[in-house]
Amino acid sequence: MTERRIGVYVCNCGTNIANVVDCDAVAEAAQSLPGVAVSRSYKYMCSNPGQEMIVQDIREEGLDRVVVAACSPRMHEPTFRRAAEMAGLNPYLVQMANIREQCSWVHDPGETATDKAKDLVRAAVYRAACHEPLERMAVEMCPDTLVIGGGIAGMSAALELADAGNRVYLVERTASLGGNVARVDLTAPYLDSARDMIVDRVTRVVEHPNVDVLLESELERLDGFVGNFKATLVRRSSGEAPPRQVVDVGSVVVCTGYKEFDAARVTHFGYGKLPDVITSFEFEQMLKQGRIELKDGRLPQYVAIVHCVGSRSEEFHGYCSRVCCMTALKYAHEVKSALPKAYVSDVYVDMHAFGKGCEDFYRRSAEVKTLFLMYGKGERPVVRRADPGDDCEMLLTVDEQLSGELIELPADLIILMVGMEPRDDAGQVAHLVNISQDKDGWFIESHPKLDPVATTTDGVYIAGACQSPKDIPDSVAQARAAAARILGKISRGKLEIDAMYAEVDEDLCSGCRVCNEICPYSAIEFDEEKRRSHVISALCKACGACVATCPSAAIKARHFTDAQIFAEITGVLA
Amino acid sequence: MSFEPKIVSFLCNWCSYSGADLAGTSRVHYKPNVRVIRVMCSARVDPTFVVKALAEGADGVLVCGCHPGDCHYSEGNYKTMRRMPLLKRMLADFGIEEERVRLEWVSASEGTRFADIVDDMTERLRALGPSRVKTALAYDAVER
Amino acid sequence: MAIRANPKLIEELEPYGAEDVMKCYHCGNCSAVCPFSADPYVFPRKPMRYLQMGLEDKLKGQLDPWLCYYCGECSDQCPREAEPGETMMSLRRWLTSKYDWTGISRLFYRSWRWELGAIVLVAILTAIGFTLFGMSQGSIAHYDGPDAFLPSASIHIFDWVLAGVLLTFLLSNAARMWWFTMGRDKDLPTTLGSYITSAWMLPAHFFTQVRYSKCEHKRSWATHLALMLSYVTMLVLIMFFLTRMASGPEIDWSVHVAGYFATAGLLLGTALFLRNRVKRSSAQYRHSHESDWIFLVLILIVATTGILQHILHRSGLDVAANVAYIVHLSLVVPMLALEVPFSKWSHLAYRPLAMYLAQVRATALARARSGEATALRPGAERTQAHAA
Repeated sequence: MTERRIGVYVCNCGTNIANVVDCDAVAEAAQSLPGVAVSRSYKYMCSNPGQEMIVQDIREEGLDRVVVAACSPRMHEPTFRRAAEMAGLNPYLVQMANIREQCSWVHDPGETATDKAKDLVRAAVYRAACHEPLERMAVEMCPDTLVIGGGIAGMSAALELADAGNRVYLVERTASLGGNVARVDLTAPYLDSARDMIVDRVTRVVEHPNVDVLLESELERLDGFVGNFKATLVRRSSGEAPPRQVVDVGSVVVCTGYKEFDAARVTHFGYGKLPDVITSFEFEQMLKQGRIELKDGRLPQYVAIVHCVGSRSEEFHGYCSRVCCMTALKYAHEVKSALPKAYVSDVYVDMHAFGKGCEDFYRRSAEVKTLFLMYGKGERPVVRRADPGDDCEMLLTVDEQLSGELIELPADLIILMVGMEPRDDAGQVAHLVNISQDKDGWFIESHPKLDPVATTTDGVYIAGACQSPKDIPDSVAQARAAAARILGKISRGKLEIDAMYAEVDEDLCSGCRVCNEICPYSAIEFDEEKRRSHVISALCKACGACVATCPSAAIKARHFTDAQIFAEITGVLA
Repeated sequence: MSFEPKIVSFLCNWCSYSGADLAGTSRVHYKPNVRVIRVMCSARVDPTFVVKALAEGADGVLVCGCHPGDCHYSEGNYKTMRRMPLLKRMLADFGIEEERVRLEWVSASEGTRFADIVDDMTERLRALGPSRVKTALAYDAVER
Repeated sequence: MAIRANPKLIEELEPYGAEDVMKCYHCGNCSAVCPFSADPYVFPRKPMRYLQMGLEDKLKGQLDPWLCYYCGECSDQCPREAEPGETMMSLRRWLTSKYDWTGISRLFYRSWRWELGAIVLVAILTAIGFTLFGMSQGSIAHYDGPDAFLPSASIHIFDWVLAGVLLTFLLSNAARMWWFTMGRDKDLPTTLGSYITSAWMLPAHFFTQVRYSKCEHKRSWATHLALMLSYVTMLVLIMFFLTRMASGPEIDWSVHVAGYFATAGLLLGTALFLRNRVKRSSAQYRHSHESDWIFLVLILIVATTGILQHILHRSGLDVAANVAYIVHLSLVVPMLALEVPFSKWSHLAYRPLAMYLAQVRATALARARSGEATALRPGAERTQAHAA
């Protein structure tokens, strides 16, 4: 083997790494590793000067491998691969050592952490020495898109794509478009009608020549890969239409939304037992019908709105459902304008009035004399029936935080601001399109900040409240962002897909066909004539299951070869 | 100086490696005894990787994948799930303690779980003492 | 035990001036900026909270509104324009009406028409009464001497009767104030000793308003003090030296010099306060309740008619002097009989009383707390139960 010329770059990440790991020592130790030509420590490797340093070294020092010891490769591997490419080095000749997320951020400062960083760098150097230049594959990009879910996000994504001249299959499980927004009367904070918004979207979607709306339909199966998916759609309702159709799509946007929290799970509020304790969606229904009244038809004098039902509690969901605070304020306004003599109380934990116009909306809600009562996160208010002599139907006991007093609040109508939770079938959808869910069941985006609409599966995007609780503007923004990402791919025509896939060495293959069964994507075919198996590279997703299975060691996982991993093992243990 | 075990950990790219990254972004501290090697799927962990690590001086090997049913590649972790017990049985014949090789499921949102597993394994290995594999195991047996 | 909230209370407070209190979102800037807000009297935020929630009983027991001199810093700092200063002012008005058992105060504060109507009625009755009295026993041509229209000796007796009546009202209301804030709180370990040792605070605060001087705006304090001292001087002169004041036509410098100073103080003080209120020069003058205007204008007119009567008498114009005197009296009487026990003037009693009671209360609370501390010793559970 000819002598390698490896460049090692130890990033300080400002103080993120340097405060725990002695970066200079790590760079110095790397200098003496076999094949290392250059070893440097620098403040921010991902910065322009940092990348410039790599580019310059590749050109001037003739580096043939690059090792960057910095953050997680899931963060900046693409950055450094691009830098290498710019200097004319194959991007797959770059290896990263994760000394931030898996070292400096999780260990105490000192020698131990520095030693670990040295081990990780050594492993990366050993591994990089075994790297091979790889070429990415070019595949066709199908311009059609599958959008799952006909709510505000799904319709927005569909329109954006269809307006640009592409075919969209919009699959909606129920019999109508509109989703949860269609159940809402007015929207906060500007009190615009949700109906107007939805009607406009629905009409445009239905009438759009490029959109195929498939109501009462579901995705049954998704095969293929980015740019070349095959989606099996099934129509659930009875009818003459063929129950199944298979469509070719290049991308999938998942916009399956949320379901509301079941208020009956919280026993404190007497939901289901007391007639005038209702959920926010039941109240929306009342508002849409134009009359706020009690079950017996009387008008309420005292209206109490309880926040965070199912949200922000250890017991149910730890997260904030984001839309309830402003919706509650909207109710305060709507009650006050319908019943000017009513007294509205808003029983909250924290008022989350983020977003445009919201703080002002909060102020205006106080100006219409809404009584705000704050309860402790762990101390849920309790509702009971009022006593015969009281001028109200119910009493709400609140351990009020701003006064420190235990308060009994009169109420005739109690509105529970139920939070959002993932739909029951979210797991099924995640499985179908091969994306992950977080601990609460929301779909996980590729990067929480820098890539909020893509997922870990190339070509599958998420938008709207299926990703996390979201209001209308955020859902629409995310939907249109997903559409923009897809349009970008469509406009390029051809896609480059990762050069990582498995290869069968036909000289070593014994034709046992174990790998054929192992592959979850049926990407390995058996050639009856040659009596050998081979991998259809476009279908391979590079999991490497076949590689570990092959009894003849005839399959190679490109970029994750046995030799590379062995080198890494040797590296960390040397 | 007290004995500090060395753990080589194979983490799948999608769940467990992200989980370990999350431990970092959440600043959840754990024992520095672990060295992570990233693989695309836990099913990529060839038994020889484990044997190689033990042979080269690792006191323990930790393999982590997505929870059953959550595999990014649909069913890779099921393969790992079946493969690891077989490997352990073979290792037992070589006199390698059961606790030296561990398979765990860590999702992308379980940073704390990853940290807990590392801490726990470190403590167990510390109690168990250094691995004798490197000296005892015939090197040739694992060379391919 | 849970306390019942009353969302309707705020509406009751609105006529007293508390119009913006619902805007408050409890950031606490007001209490932080207030030079007086300190444990155990943390205000304005806390009373504002009680008011928002309608905890009437808690509010009735609060001394805090009286501890505020309305410098206006809180209102200036409020990010929500909830006017904490004005809320405290409104609470003082409301508390005044709560202390007053006759219900007259409540009537006056809720409707300026009632207040003004009552003043006019009492003024007319006074004028008629004194005119009939004067005509029955003297001549309008004589200001003093044996045939005087309104002989100072008789007026003196009338003054004392009036003083007795209004003191009865004021003291009974003050007693109610004590009951609401101190007396009914069974758990407050007050002692007679602390009532006695803190008693000096009553005259001290009454005569110096030393607490007001700690506010940001020293000029307000000075004007307020000058007005108050002038008024008290005048009151002393009238109650004790009326015969010497009315003798003449020569000027009796031993009493008149004090009278001149007091008059100047009254004129200047009321004029300054009126000017501030008209110009809304700072936070504490931005909101003027009708009772504020009535109060200031009344003092100003009383002072002016007093001067007029004095000048006319000294100039030997006895008829004109007697007419001016009747007018003067018919304004003085409603001012004393209505304003002192039932309206804004009552704060001359409530405020120093509140300072005094607050001191007694704070001492008692401190004792209760140190009792708790000692109760942590083993075997002291009984003491703790008692203190709590």
